[in-house]
Amino acid sequence: MNWKPNPFAIVGLAMVSAPIIAHARIYVTAEQVQKILLPHKQLNQAPIIISEDLQEKMRVASSIRHPFRGDRIWKASDGSWLIIDEVIGKHEMITYAVAINPNGSVLGLEILEYVESYGYEVAEAGWRKQFVGKTVHDPIKLNQDIQNIGGATLSCKHITDGVKRVAVLYDLALKTK
Amino acid sequence: MMARCKALLGTFVEISIDQDDSQAADKAFAAVKQVQDLMGFHNPLSELTQINRWAHQVSLEIHPWTAEVIRIAQEIHQQSNGLFNCGIGHRLVSAGLLPRHIDLSRHKLGGIEDIYFLDSQLITSNKPICLDLGGIAKGFAVDKAVESLISSGIESGCVNAGGDLRVFGDTLRSVQIRNPSLPNQLIDIGSLQNGAIATSGLYFSHRDQEQSHIINPFAQNESEVHLNFSDSYSILANECVYADALTKVLALSAGHTHPCFHYFSAQAIRIAA
Repeated sequence: MNWKPNPFAIVGLAMVSAPIIAHARIYVTAEQVQKILLPHKQLNQAPIIISEDLQEKMRVASSIRHPFRGDRIWKASDGSWLIIDEVIGKHEMITYAVAINPNGSVLGLEILEYVESYGYEVAEAGWRKQFVGKTVHDPIKLNQDIQNIGGATLSCKHITDGVKRVAVLYDLALKTK
Repeated sequence: MMARCKALLGTFVEISIDQDDSQAADKAFAAVKQVQDLMGFHNPLSELTQINRWAHQVSLEIHPWTAEVIRIAQEIHQQSNGLFNCGIGHRLVSAGLLPRHIDLSRHKLGGIEDIYFLDSQLITSNKPICLDLGGIAKGFAVDKAVESLISSGIESGCVNAGGDLRVFGDTLRSVQIRNPSLPNQLIDIGSLQNGAIATSGLYFSHRDQEQSHIINPFAQNESEVHLNFSDSYSILANECVYADALTKVLALSAGHTHPCFHYFSAQAIRIAA
C-alpha cells in the first residue's frame, strides 16, 4: 500500500478550500446497457402507452410516485425485454435498466447513472434535464474527474422499489405482447 | 477506461478499470454476487442463515470463502480484544435493521469466538449464534472482485462497494471521503495506490432516521447496544476486508488508535463532524 495523505486534509483545510458538491456518475449509455445485459440479441424498440390505470397499479406496487415513461422499452425476438427507468429519491436520482427473460424472471440489472444531490434539486425537472442524454464521454458536470468516493455505506433500497414497478409493468403490459 | 455499477450487497458496487473489458467486469461482479449469496443475512437460503440455524447442533461444511471470512473475523476479534464481533446479528434484528428468519429469543447466544473449525471447511458452534457478516463481507467482496479483475488481466482499477473501496495497479488515485457534517461534500484526503480504505459513519442512518448499525458487543443493557457518533472513521489497509472490519474497532474505541491497527498494518483516519 502506498498512501500519500493530502497535507491540507490533515490540518482540516481541505474542506474549507474546496467543497465539492453534487455528484453525477454516468456509467453506461442506453445503447451500451443493451450489449451488457442482452449480448448478441437484436433488440427492437417497443414503446407502450402507459394508461392511468397501469400507472396507478405500478405506483401502488412500488410506492414510486413519479410517472413511468413508456418510451424506453425494447424487445428481443426470443421474448426477452429490456426496460430503462429511473428512481428519484429524496437525495438521488438513479437511472437503471432491467433485463427480463422470456419466462418473466429478471435476467439482470445495471445502473446507468447515479446523480446525487439535495432533495429540492432532484425534485426539480429542470435540474434533472441537464443529465438527460449525456454519455460517459461528455465533460458534463462539476468534478468529472472524481473517481473514488469513500464514506458510510449508501443504501440501494430504492432500486428494489424500481424493480417492483418494472415487474408490475411486465405482468400487466408486456407479458401478453 | 470503463466504469460499471450494480446494486449488490445492499449498496451500489462500482467497478472502474483502465481497459475496456466488460467481461472482466462481469466476472468481478459475479464474485461480489457470490459473496452476497453466501453471506447475506437477508437471504433465508444463504450459507450464513444455515450457520445461524444449525451450527450449534451439527457440523456444517461451508464454502472456502465463508470459511475465510469467519477465520479473518475471528483473528480480528482476538486482536481487538473482542471489540469486533460478528455475533451481534440479533441486535440488528431487534432494531429492525435486519430481517427475522429464526427466533433465537429464547437462547443465550454466543459470539464469533464460539465457532470452531473441525476441518478447513467444516465448522460447528458451542452455542447458538446469530452472526451478521455485514461488518466485514463488503470488504471481502471488494477484495474478491479485485482478485478477479487481476486474474482477468486488468492492470489497474478501483472497486468501490458503496464507500468501501480498493485500488490496484500502478496508478496513484486520489480518494475523497464524505464530510460527515455535509455528506454531499467531499474531502480530498490523499492518494492511494494498491490499497484499500473503508469508512464507518452514521450520517446516512441519521438522515434516514434509522438506529445506529454500530453495535457494542459488550453492552450490558439495551441503552448501551447502539453506538452513536457523528464523526467519520476510516481505515486504510492493504486489503479491504481488514479496512472494513477495523472501522468498527476504530468507532468503538472512539477514534483512539488501537494496538491491533499496527498488527494489521492499518492506519486510522478520523474526520470530525
